[in-house]
Amino acid sequence: MDQILLQSPLLTPTPIWLIALPLLVAFLSPLWGRARWPLLFGVHLGLFALALWLLAGVQDGPLIETLVIAPPLGIHLHADAVSLLLVALLTFAVALVAAFLWQGARAPHWQSRQAFVLIMLLSAGCNGMLLTGDLFNLYVFIEIAGVSAYLLSALRRDAAALEAGLKYLIIGAVSAVFILFATVLTYITTGTLNLAAIGMAFADIPAAMQILIGLLLLVGLGIKAELFPFNVWVPEIYRGSDPEASALFSGVVVKAFLFVLFNLVFLILADPAVVGRWLMILGGVTMVIAELTALRQRDLRRMLAYSSLGQVGLITLALGFAETTVVAGGLFHLVNHTLAKLLLFMVAALMLSRASSGHLDALTGIARRLPLAAGLFVLGSLSMLGLPPLAGFMSKLWIMAGFAEAGVFWPIALILLGALLEAAYFFRWIALFYRPVPAPRLASDPVGLPTASSAVTWPLLVLAVLLIGFGLAPVLLEPALNLAAEVLLDRSGAIEAVMGVRP
Amino acid sequence: MLDALDTPGVHHALYAVGSMALFSIGLYGLLTRRHLLKIFMSLAIMEMAVYLLFIGLTTQPGRTAPILSDGLVEFAGTADPVPQALTLTALVIALAVLALGVSMSIRYHQLTGTTDVETMSALKDP
Amino acid sequence: MRLFLRVLSLMVVVTPAVTWFAWDGALVWPLFGGATLSFDVTPLASFFLLLLAMGAPLAALPMLRKEEPDWQLALFALLVLGMQGLLLAQDLVGFFIGWEIMTWSSWLLIVRSPRTDAGTAASYILFNLSAAFLLLAGLLGVYSLTGSFAIQALVDLTLAQGLVLVLLFGAAFLIKIGTLPLHLWIPRSYDQAPEPVTVVLSALVSKMGVYGLLLMLILFPEMPGRWFGDWLNGPLSGYGLAWIGVITSIVATFKAIAQDDMKRLLAYSSIGQLGYVTTAIGVGGALGISGALYHALVHTLVSLLLFISFAGIIAQTGQRRFNDLGELIYRMPISFFGVLIGIIALAGMPPLPGFASKFLIFVALIEAQWILLFAAVILSSAAAFLYCYKLIYAPFLGQANSPEARVAREAPWPYLIPQIILMGMLVGLGMFPGMGTALADPVLAALGLAPLDGPSLGTLATPYGGYDGVTLMLVFGIAFALVTALFYMLRGQLRRAGSRQDLSFAGEVPTPDQPLHYGAGMGRELRRIPLIGWILARSSSGFFSGLAERVERLAEHSSRLYPSQPWRWVQSFVVVFAVLLTWGLVRGGGL
Repeated sequence: MDQILLQSPLLTPTPIWLIALPLLVAFLSPLWGRARWPLLFGVHLGLFALALWLLAGVQDGPLIETLVIAPPLGIHLHADAVSLLLVALLTFAVALVAAFLWQGARAPHWQSRQAFVLIMLLSAGCNGMLLTGDLFNLYVFIEIAGVSAYLLSALRRDAAALEAGLKYLIIGAVSAVFILFATVLTYITTGTLNLAAIGMAFADIPAAMQILIGLLLLVGLGIKAELFPFNVWVPEIYRGSDPEASALFSGVVVKAFLFVLFNLVFLILADPAVVGRWLMILGGVTMVIAELTALRQRDLRRMLAYSSLGQVGLITLALGFAETTVVAGGLFHLVNHTLAKLLLFMVAALMLSRASSGHLDALTGIARRLPLAAGLFVLGSLSMLGLPPLAGFMSKLWIMAGFAEAGVFWPIALILLGALLEAAYFFRWIALFYRPVPAPRLASDPVGLPTASSAVTWPLLVLAVLLIGFGLAPVLLEPALNLAAEVLLDRSGAIEAVMGVRP
Repeated sequence: MLDALDTPGVHHALYAVGSMALFSIGLYGLLTRRHLLKIFMSLAIMEMAVYLLFIGLTTQPGRTAPILSDGLVEFAGTADPVPQALTLTALVIALAVLALGVSMSIRYHQLTGTTDVETMSALKDP
Repeated sequence: MRLFLRVLSLMVVVTPAVTWFAWDGALVWPLFGGATLSFDVTPLASFFLLLLAMGAPLAALPMLRKEEPDWQLALFALLVLGMQGLLLAQDLVGFFIGWEIMTWSSWLLIVRSPRTDAGTAASYILFNLSAAFLLLAGLLGVYSLTGSFAIQALVDLTLAQGLVLVLLFGAAFLIKIGTLPLHLWIPRSYDQAPEPVTVVLSALVSKMGVYGLLLMLILFPEMPGRWFGDWLNGPLSGYGLAWIGVITSIVATFKAIAQDDMKRLLAYSSIGQLGYVTTAIGVGGALGISGALYHALVHTLVSLLLFISFAGIIAQTGQRRFNDLGELIYRMPISFFGVLIGIIALAGMPPLPGFASKFLIFVALIEAQWILLFAAVILSSAAAFLYCYKLIYAPFLGQANSPEARVAREAPWPYLIPQIILMGMLVGLGMFPGMGTALADPVLAALGLAPLDGPSLGTLATPYGGYDGVTLMLVFGIAFALVTALFYMLRGQLRRAGSRQDLSFAGEVPTPDQPLHYGAGMGRELRRIPLIGWILARSSSGFFSGLAERVERLAEHSSRLYPSQPWRWVQSFVVVFAVLLTWGLVRGGGL
């Protein structure tokens, strides 16, 4: 199949466009002028369509697109049912954030060209991380996504944003050192950087070196994928960044890193059961500690950050089980979490533009001024908690039914405990939003920004419709998710597609 | 007399020990320094340690740089070209991140008058 | 838009009635992994659907007033949909979906009331979600055993499996019913919810817990027989449940007597009445189940009637404490009759159907020969008279104790229409007590019990005797008419006091602000009775608030795990990395 694609003209839709197009558009940014935001939205909608189109073509096996020399010597893109599913999700998410910014962001720093370029680069980096079949390429894409994320975090350029950006940069650089170290050791011990070839060779390298490389990758990717105890930086960064940026971090970047982590685990290790078990424990601990800590948060952004950590823990718990049903449920939850978190962070952005701060007191009674936003917040949190009839319920049920089928009950208990803690704080915030407050406190707009047009709500409504739709009809996604889970767990198939031999 | 030491094993051990020492110095700096620029320097030292390890362990005494010039037409007797290329790429990335960090530090200093991560407090909640 | 929303909500509210009359054929909806949700009407569901079909439109009427906000009716429609969904569900997932929609929509109804405080909102949602998650754990347990979510009889369980499942499901439903000590969320939320919402919570939402408890009889058909052995002529598990119910009703009844707030009193009374239902389910057998269903039906009608009447009083006077009301019999006569009929039925006095349902429960207890339980039920029934008395006396008789009560007018029609309908229904059911057992008979048949098969709708028949409702009602009606006529004839000769303060007792002359009705301060003296005083002084709220406090403290500790300085972050990474590496190397072996 790759031969045919190689011979075809440059403009045929191939996976490389998922990375190249955002980069190209970003570098040509001076040309776009005022059309930047529509372009950002349009490009990502296009990429979304492209990813779906490619997804339809990889039902039977992955699509290997060779760059320069054929693998395992050269660099290639490995587009299969799971990576393209995630690309579709992430491009869709970026498209919605773009639409939100286009209609809603009136602050000057979001109007600037930097924001446009950075989001494009972020999206290119994340797509690259999902699609690449080469370890060093992975490092490069991680850095591209990382640098744009640091800058997005600091985009507001006041003390808080810069502090968040600097801290993000420091922690990101630490993570990069660990990943680079692992890459270097892998090359020294196996002599290759191709992921499939590493998968073949990894079992033969010394046991101590395996553990060292594994731990380096765990720390490096764990930092970015927000697993406890490597996620301690997250609340600070989300607190300082604009919610629009946090939506991208939580909805897009983290998801890409989770995929990278689990793709490596399932591809490289001949028997992922032991590591999977440890990752499950890590996920469970991440979830419970984060949900517990979220109880005490007094700032909306910080609360959402902890909630994000909790959900990441849940997804890790599910994916680590390495069993098709549970992994499919975990991927479904990943999709739902992206949708719900985008919704919540965008609602938070709307609220913060009307309130003096993100603090609990400042947001009390906000529902009277922003009834639709408060209603959407309720919807998003219901999905986040896993209450029917919303999508989050279906994915949690899916995961738990998988665990129950396998007769493993401790994750179910942890998930339910986490959901109860989650309910305690989400419902407290909702109760605050709806609390009646004396009129004078609501009288003036403290920030004085021009108010956004009502068109700003349509990306939110799209998300709400999707959350309800997937909640009522999870069958819509079922074939894609099952296939994705099978592909993610099918190590020999992935290696065979690249190397031509079964491991 | 010291020819016995001029073997790949000894070289590699030296490189490994040296780069680990460098890495530890960087890590120590990262954990103990509070000045933003010193933190970035520590990070740069850690990265350098990794590069050194990479370059050092993938070559052997007597090999030349993998550059096809001066009559060389094939990669015989040269070091493995891949690590060298990768290190160059990584260096560029690291430099970019470093420049970004330094410029953000300067900006932060202009705004708040501090360069100490310990006293950063804009993210504290009341 | 507003009108459209209202019309749409109203249409949803009458759907249970439509479903009850016109449902045919099952509805199947695909879930994932080959599982499906299916909806159909079973005999058990049909009984509770009838309650919903009667209750929902009546409860919706007060919400139609202009003073009530739009979202209330819309959320109520959602709540009705949720309850309907859980009744129709043929599988546990559908049941859970309906259950949860019910939970969060009712929470949103409560939380948007200006009177609701943070503690109430939190306790309502946390108790209910705990119930829901226990239920979810239970249904996943069923799934792991049978590989399907369908509601079906689980047979051949081991003792451990059965015990875990019964405890999970049982705890979930007992929280919803509000048995002791899991009732804490009820009084405060019933009290603080908007008045029309309290009607729904007490009359309809709480019945879903009863439905769940009865569903357990279908899920675990072997529960009474095989698991725990017998105790005093009956299954031990049923005996335990019956005692839980009785203790709930005794404690709730005494707490109700001591209340000073109308809605709080009714909330405790509601807990107590559902305690009887729980007892009856515990007794089991044809009489017990029939009594439970009958009492659930009566309690639905009575709590609709009483809560709507008191909602009218609160709407007209703005007062909710007994001591701030009084003398409303002249100003709100229809509400007076509503409350009168309501308390007669609530107290279980003939000729109204409260008597019929309690009669069935008593007979069931006698049949099971659980005499101690019988005595306890009698005790709490008798004590219930005291609060019933307070309910009629304090607001309607005596002298008016607040300016609002002095000028109040009869409640508007949205409150009166449902009251009149409900009074008619209660009197009708009292006249034809056989209707209740006739409705319960299909359920008994579905549960594999022998139906009671009354000879006619006018009589209540049990193997241990019965009565003729028509005769009884006629006798009481004639007596009532005679006494009323006598009163009106003699009215001119009765001595009239100059004013209500025109009396003196124990050498004191009351001041105008002193409440003079007997209901005032009732229950204060109860604390001096040894056992009852002990009960009234106890509460499980300390345990739960202690738990909440401990979790908060734990959260404080865990937030220390998230420092704000980058070097601390790196420090923890390095430590974790070093520990894991050492451990991995010592352990040996690769990944």
